[in-house]
Amino acid sequence: MNTVFEVHVAGADPRYAAEAAQAAFALVDRLEGELSRFRHNSDITRINHLTAGQEARVGEAALECLVIARHVYDLTAGAFDIAIGTGLPSLEIDADAFAVRATTDGVRIDLGGIGKGYAVDLVAELLEEWELEQAFVHGGFSSAVALEPPSGQDGWPLTLSDPRDHSRVFSRLSMRQTALSASGVRKGDHIVDPRTGAPVSGRLAAWVALPRPAGSGSAASEARPRLAPGAVADALTTAFMMLPLDDIEALCARSPGLEAWILADGASGVADLIHLTGAAPDRAAGDSV
Amino acid sequence: MADENTKGKPKTPVAGGPPKLDRRDLLMGLSTVPALGLFGYAWSRQQAHRAGVEAAAAAPAAAAGVQEINVALLGAGAQGQVLMEAMLRIPGLRFRAVCDIWSEYNQKRVVNTLKRFKHEPNAYEDYREMLDKEKQLDAVVIATPDFWHAEHTIACLKAGKHVYCEKEMSNTLEGARSMVMAQRETGKLLQIGHQRRSNPRYLHAYNKLLQEAKLLGRIVTVNGQWNRGVTQDLGAPDRYVIPADRLKQYGFKDMAQFRNWRWYKGKGGGPIVDLGSHQIDIYTWFLGANPSGVMATGGRLYYPPETHEWYDTVMVVFDYQTAAGPAQAYYQTQTTNGSNGYFETFMGDQGTLLISESEVNYPGQLYRDPNAPAWDEWINKGYISAPKEVVVKEKVEGAVADVRESAPPDQHSVPISLRDPYHQPHLQNFFDSVRGKAKLNCPAEVGYESAVSVLKVNEAIEAKSRLAFKPEDFRI
Repeated sequence: MNTVFEVHVAGADPRYAAEAAQAAFALVDRLEGELSRFRHNSDITRINHLTAGQEARVGEAALECLVIARHVYDLTAGAFDIAIGTGLPSLEIDADAFAVRATTDGVRIDLGGIGKGYAVDLVAELLEEWELEQAFVHGGFSSAVALEPPSGQDGWPLTLSDPRDHSRVFSRLSMRQTALSASGVRKGDHIVDPRTGAPVSGRLAAWVALPRPAGSGSAASEARPRLAPGAVADALTTAFMMLPLDDIEALCARSPGLEAWILADGASGVADLIHLTGAAPDRAAGDSV
Repeated sequence: MADENTKGKPKTPVAGGPPKLDRRDLLMGLSTVPALGLFGYAWSRQQAHRAGVEAAAAAPAAAAGVQEINVALLGAGAQGQVLMEAMLRIPGLRFRAVCDIWSEYNQKRVVNTLKRFKHEPNAYEDYREMLDKEKQLDAVVIATPDFWHAEHTIACLKAGKHVYCEKEMSNTLEGARSMVMAQRETGKLLQIGHQRRSNPRYLHAYNKLLQEAKLLGRIVTVNGQWNRGVTQDLGAPDRYVIPADRLKQYGFKDMAQFRNWRWYKGKGGGPIVDLGSHQIDIYTWFLGANPSGVMATGGRLYYPPETHEWYDTVMVVFDYQTAAGPAQAYYQTQTTNGSNGYFETFMGDQGTLLISESEVNYPGQLYRDPNAPAWDEWINKGYISAPKEVVVKEKVEGAVADVRESAPPDQHSVPISLRDPYHQPHLQNFFDSVRGKAKLNCPAEVGYESAVSVLKVNEAIEAKSRLAFKPEDFRI
């Protein structure tokens, strides 16, 4: 994924934690092999070579990413779209057969806006499997999942900073059992609005926090497709770079626990960081979030 | 698609297609989008467009006109999972059983994955019980530690199953030989997992570039490597550790040895066997000759020798008598720095081929010697790409030459990519052979020849001198 993944573990034997981290990085490598559009033999490249009517068999990771991507596409009325150009609905996803069919030529998908979040979700799952509950994971700093905090702390300390000058911290957060993702534009970069094909303007950055639906060992952790807060948050940040604030607010209002921070273009300081929250998180009702 | 979904249920959320909105509607915002819940996705939402259209979709193996093959996976560790992933993308297979002694973890994970793909495999810890009970099996894919390969392969062949067995064929020559014998006795198929033998780029390089076009001329030297960065020993989640008595029963002194068996004498062969085996096999294939001698050095330079009994660093020189004349080949593997990864370079008197299995690094480049005949014919046939750098000989008025910096040699690429997981074509070749529609690309005898070359490297390191091969060493 051409980025750095980091695993922080507290309160564990360092050697054991390092072994778990090694397993986590092997997992990330495997996911990259399946999900990267730059790998000639990934599931994604195979999809990107389909012509109308052709079908590709894919693995679990690609299928889950596609299903989640399609869901967020629907939630955001197409503001998040991994298939800019033809649009994601030009792929038929047959989850029973693990097959993906193109209904038109030229479908080009890119999981750049969701893959890191998905990988971070899976790494968090792996750490729980290793009973390393006090952990924090991030992929390229833009997709993070906080599990339980170190003993004696309320959460993992995190900051949101100005993308133009990261020494200017806008917000300090303390998070546990939460996914946090960021999108932003670096100088010279742009994000394309998939609905119009035009570059997005007016926003410098967006952050999304989403509680993890449930801890390890619960029924929710066995669910398929996975309840993947990192993937969903990752995808939402891209959409939140362009959706009207009213829409973001409406989505937060009906999604318990969802929080968003939007930094508008021209914002000069912390006062301009717009923080949107919905209803209080109800962790017991995780899977109906 | 959108029509189908919105028909009769215009307000339903997006099943297979988006709400039937045009671009302007979409820009009106989320007010038209129903509340789905952030985790409201489900496989079933994606199915609507298929309902009633393709009832057979639920059966993964039910590909039209393909005879279904009942398979078992014996060994569900990292490599077994790689093979499983490739097999899940091959139509016409039905997983019936999974066997692994790590029933607490890998066995369970693989069975769960297969169930999600609509297979219903039975789980076993003991392969003998599996062979007793799973009478309908056609084939077994074996990815257990090397020191188990011979026993597992022979038992499966004798039970009437076709076998795909990972390389190294065995950690001992006796083991490898007994596998060839069992294959001959039973007449069942035995494919050894040197998967480059079925890789379309390697097949193209061998059949078209070397055999037909003879682009390299006479190959005199070969160079190759697999360099890998430092890796931490593999561990296991504490709660899933295998009980000591079961580990002992299956030949492991403890969990650490079970996880890292490749480093132990009597279990695996170290990096030269794990990594070098793949590429030294290609040397033999492309040169058309088994080696006639080997010199090697190996060192335990970096890792603690008590847990890393085999050499972490190996440098080898093989010599060959090919049909075209003598040749020499260098190979190195080291496990402390991944510089330049892995590749093989074949150097002939007319050109060079740099190739690797990777679709990322060195996926096939050719350099033409300036004195070699033109390659235009092969470019026109599509065997190789047009050169990256076209050097035009300009004639300058009133001068013999414009003297300038020398141009790099023409660089061509091999225009063949693998779109599937790395092991898929070799497995496909095996299953095609089971169906009688292909010939194995790496049958037992070929796997044996490769094992003879590779296992001798560790011997040569200990001997500290050149060891000779006799032609009969490679035959059974």
